[in-house]
Order: sequence, then C-alpha cells, then structure tokens
Amino acid sequence: VNGILKRILSQCIKELAQFRRDRLTLALAFLLPVMSLFIFGFAIRLEAKDIPLMVQDFDRSVLSRSYQDRLYATHQFQPVPWADIASPQQALDRGLAKAVVIVPPEFSRHIKADKPIEVQVLVDGTDANNARVIKNSIKATTNAFMQAEKLTPDTSLITPRTRIWFNPGRKEALYIVPGTFAVVLWIFPSLLAAIAMVREKEKGTILQVYASSMSAGELILGKALAYLTVALAMAVGVIGLGIIIFGLRFAGDPTPFLIGTPLYLAASVMFGLLIGVRVNEQNAAVQAVALVGFLTALLLSGFIYPLSNIPFPLSLLSNLIPARYYIVITRDAFVRGVGWAGVWWAPIAIVSIGMVFFLVARKVLSRMQVSS
Amino acid sequence: MKFFHQFFEGRLWSLVRKEIAQILRNKQLIVLLIIPPTLQLLVYGFALNPDVRYLKLGIVDYAQTADSRELVSAFTDNQIFIPQQFLFSEKALATQVETGALTAGVVIPPEFSRRLANAENTDIQILVDGVDANTAGIASGYLAQMVQQYALNRLGTTQALPIKTEVTFLYNPGLSSSWFFVPGVMGLVLTLIGTIVSSITVVREKDTGTLEQLLMTPAAEWEILLSKIVPLFVLLMGDVMLALTLGRVIFNLPFRGSFLLFMGLSGLYVFVGISVGILLATVCQSQQQVVLTTFFINLPMVQLSGAIAPIETMPPFFQSLSWFNPLRHYIAIVRGILLKGVGLEALWGNALMLGAFVVVLFAVSTNRFRKQLS
Repeated sequence: VNGILKRILSQCIKELAQFRRDRLTLALAFLLPVMSLFIFGFAIRLEAKDIPLMVQDFDRSVLSRSYQDRLYATHQFQPVPWADIASPQQALDRGLAKAVVIVPPEFSRHIKADKPIEVQVLVDGTDANNARVIKNSIKATTNAFMQAEKLTPDTSLITPRTRIWFNPGRKEALYIVPGTFAVVLWIFPSLLAAIAMVREKEKGTILQVYASSMSAGELILGKALAYLTVALAMAVGVIGLGIIIFGLRFAGDPTPFLIGTPLYLAASVMFGLLIGVRVNEQNAAVQAVALVGFLTALLLSGFIYPLSNIPFPLSLLSNLIPARYYIVITRDAFVRGVGWAGVWWAPIAIVSIGMVFFLVARKVLSRMQVSS
Repeated sequence: MKFFHQFFEGRLWSLVRKEIAQILRNKQLIVLLIIPPTLQLLVYGFALNPDVRYLKLGIVDYAQTADSRELVSAFTDNQIFIPQQFLFSEKALATQVETGALTAGVVIPPEFSRRLANAENTDIQILVDGVDANTAGIASGYLAQMVQQYALNRLGTTQALPIKTEVTFLYNPGLSSSWFFVPGVMGLVLTLIGTIVSSITVVREKDTGTLEQLLMTPAAEWEILLSKIVPLFVLLMGDVMLALTLGRVIFNLPFRGSFLLFMGLSGLYVFVGISVGILLATVCQSQQQVVLTTFFINLPMVQLSGAIAPIETMPPFFQSLSWFNPLRHYIAIVRGILLKGVGLEALWGNALMLGAFVVVLFAVSTNRFRKQLS
C-alpha cells in the first residue's frame, strides 16, 4: 500500500511541476474561469427591464392619457415616442419597440357609456420568455387601471397575499451566479486534466509508464490528485470572487457545499481524464470537452431554465450530468438554505458518476498497458 | 472562355485543388464541420425552454366548501399549474416549498366562505419558490390574475370587463422558444467552427513546415492566401445550409425574408469567422495554442451576442459592449430575416457593422499573414 501511495504522490508532484511551467495552461486555469464568472454572472439575465413600449393613442382623451401614464409607471416599460411610421407593426419590424398598445378612438366614449372596448396589443414574440412577461404585465396594469378608475367591481374582497421565498426581490443574480459556479468549475478542471493526459500520449512519455510497474489506476489517481489541487485553488478564487462581487452569503448550513465542492471537482477532473484516455490529440481533447462538457453543463443542468422543461429523451441524459446535482447544492447553500435534509442525495449522485468515470478510464488505459 | 481556360490551367486553381484535397483527406476536419454543429443545434433547440407550465402547485384548503373548491379548480384548470398535493396543514406545505418539491403553494383560510358571504375581506396566502426568479415572477403573476378572475366571477359581473386587452404575438404566435434560440445557435456554430477550422488549416502548415515550401514556389502571397480562403468559404457556407436545413426540418423554423439576402449576409459573417481564425493562427505557434486561444475569444463573443440570453436583458454596459461583437449583428440579421421577414430597410445598421468588421478584420489578418510569409 505504501508503494502505491508513493507512486501516486510522485506522479502528482511531477504533474504539478509540468503544469507550472506552461504559461498558456496556467492562464487557462485562472484567467479564463474568472472571465467566465464575470460574463455569465453579469450578462446572463432572463427578464427584460426597460422594455421599449409604444402607445398609439387614437383617443387623446384624459382617460386614455391616464391609461398610458399607468403603463409607463410600472418601471418595466420605457416610453418610445410615436415615430413617423406607416403602421404599428413597423415599429416592431425595425426593433424600435418590443410592444405596441393601440388605444382606439372610441376608448373614453365607450367606457363612459359602459360599453366594452378592445385595446389591441402587439407584442414581439421573437423572445418567447419576455413576450410572456410583457403580456402579463400589460394585462395586470390594465386591471389595475380599471380598478383605480372604478370601472370594475371591487375585487379586493379576495386579496392574494403572495410571498416569494428565498429571493423576495427576485434578484436574478441569486439564481444565475450559483449556477455559474457549477458551469465554470466543470469545464475548466476537466479541460486541464484532459489536456494533461493527452499530452503524455502525444509526447510518447506514456509508453514509459505502460512499461513501468505503475498501474493504470495509479497513473490516473496521481494525475487526478494533481489537478484536484489545481481545481481547488481555482474554486477558491472563483467562488470567493463570486461571493464578494455579487454579494452572496450562505443562507444556511454551509457543510453540504463545503463537502460537495471537492467531490464535484474530483468528478470534473475524472471526466477530463476519461476524455484524455479516449482521444489521441490535444485538439480532439479540447473539442470533446468543449462540446460534451460545456454543452451538457450549460444546457442539461437546469442552469438557465428549469430542468422540468427539458423534453423526454434529453431529460434522461440530464440525470447523468454532475453539474445538475452540484447546482442543487450551490443554490441551496446561497439561496434556499435548507441544508442536508434537502440535498443529501446530490453529493451521492456526484460521487457515483465520478466513480464511473474513474472505472471506465482505468479500464481503457489498462488495456494498453504491457502485461507483466 | 479564354478566362476560364486560363483559370483552370493556372497556379491559383492548382493551389485551391491542393487545399481541397488536404481538407478532404483530413477526416477529423470533416467530422468537425458536421457533428458539432448538428449536436449543438439539436441540444440548444430542445433543451433551452423557458415555458412556464406544469408547475407543481400544493393546496391547503382549510375551508372545504363549494366556494373554495371552485377557487381551487380556477387555479388548476389550465396547463400552468398541476395540483401536486392536497395537504392538510400550512406547515407541511411550507416544508414542501422550502425543499423545492413544490413550486408554489396556496392556503385558503377556514373562514373563506363565511367572510365572502358577509362581504368581508378575505386573504389568500400564496407561497412561491423564488430560487428561479424568472419562473417565480411569471407564476405569481398568473396566480394573482386567477384570483382576480375568480373574484370577478363570484361578484356575478355578467357584463364583460370594460377594457379588454387583445394581445397578438407577432412573428412567433405559438411562442415557440426554439424559434428564438435556433437562429442564435446558427450564429454561434458558425463562429466556433469557422474560427477553429480556419486557424487549424493555416497553422498546420506552420507546424509541419510546409508553409516555407509553398513560399519557394512561384505562387504570389495573395494566391496562397486566396487558395486557403476559397475552400474554407465553400465548406462553411455548407455549414450555413446544414444549420438552415436542420432548423427548417426539425424545428419548423419559418423563413419569411429574402433567401439571397440571407446567403449574402451569411457569406459576410463567414468571412468574419475566417479572418478571426487566420488572425489567431498568425498569433499562435502551434495547433494546441490555437485551439486554446479560440476559447478566450469565443466564450465572451458567444455569451455577449444575445444567442442565449437576450441583449435587452443585459446591464447597459454589456449592451453597449455587444455593439462591437460581430456575432450580435449576425444573430439580429438571422432573426430578422427568418422570423420577422424584414429586409435591408430594417437591418441596414447590422449589415453595415458586419461589413465594417469584415473589412477591418480581413485587412489586419491578411496583413499579418503576409508579413509572416515574407
């Protein structure tokens, strides 16, 4: 056992020494993760604010003007002056506005006469998510307008008291940034590990290993240990910066997060090593990690939209994505705050998937080993 | 005819033929041109889905009257909420929302019917899991609308509401989210593949030292460069067609604008990709470096382009930054032509920016390439 540990450790030290010498990979290990954190954390937002809204007011009465004021008072819309265009659709065609409300000429006349009136709303449906937000907002504002003008019976008889838990201000950073940790800490550790493994093959130094007494498992564990060290340093940097810049704080018991993070990093490194033993060229390794690792961690992990929205065959695949489980842990740590009771299963899933990566990588590698 | 004859006998044609033969022999490159774009289009198109429906709703009905049951069915008579559980205590409901087992919960108080009958005010408690801020906002909006609708029905207002908002979604009446994402991913794929394929083909000659051999031949610099660009251009235009076909066949994407305009502007964008690739190849010494450096360029370029998260939702600083991102303009063009069916009268700004990028990037990259040759 002593011999095994010694071999693993010396492999690890050799790997770290090599890693330090390569400037580009060093930059890749520290600069790129931080850059990605900033870009994802700041630029990915789902709900539009200051939506350009145009009101075409054919009525020009006091009532129609107060309706218009109420629409703009929601702070969700930004007024766009009626431009010199042929039709309201042109405003959307040219991207001048995202929505146009058309108030008909008989607006105030019909309302005063107790006759129903129809207000046309054209919404740019290109971005389905915000189209829905705009529709809801205009409907809610119209209802509020009718209530305020006493046009409808008082419905405050039944008042919904809505409480939005964990994130009452619905700050999107609280949703996106913990997810960003999962994406960033999946791509870069696995990328570094994959490159390290392939480089050994490209340079042919792996033949020496094959011929030596070192087993495939030892080689993989040695490399894994080295890149786990690098990944931990990366994680401290990325998560630390994320906490400071985006003002995150632990919502509850941080131990699931503190234990889950090294496990997740280990699974990421194992994934990289698995790719590394399967392909023979660095380009192919980078492509494989970029395509498989990035795509799955970004799209099948519930990072952007809820997991339940992924359609059937893909939803099965998402069960095999460690990022999906780690996101549960990070969102619990920084937003939900339930602790072990809510997330105990996530670290188990991460470890299981990581073990599978290790076993497959060892099997592939030991097939190439010279049998003694 | 004489011109054609000269061309096919000429140096340029033989250089082009050499490049095509080299590319076709490289199986990996062909795979790279077909597999990643296809996978990316499919996964992005299917997996990114902002629909708010089938949310898990928990209900605690302390009242258990005909009125309260009517309210419950108002909440659940739609595709937005599915009643997951009918619980008996508020506390159990709270735990379920806390752990994320339920997205929202409704508590109807015991005195609900009595107070309504006496025309007294009643509160209904609504809990929403706010971890997913976007879904929480839309869901709580729906719940409030449903309560109001119920209240109106209950008050027996037989007459219609005085103001009825008639919302029409232009360009995408079914609000199919893939119509938004697929044009974005078309741009994303062209960027990733274009830069990588072009930088690899250029840098490989450096790696193997054949670039010097090419220089020894009587071919002029511009001939060498052109012979590299032409086959790449053709292959990448093939990728444009591949992406367009996948979008049409699998995602039922409309094509409302001019096909010629689309191909023309796509051609411009392919030039941007090739220029960036050549630029990278002149900066880097080996294939490995090239592949890693493309990461540095592509990540911000893709994320700040509006391919995934719309430009309008970004903070103002990033919105202005995205003006200097050619991908942003290309995606706006693709969405404009395919979904909106508009032409240059609406897209001239984006087309102009794209043209400026082509000129600048192409000039810089060819200049560097020529310097390295001499």
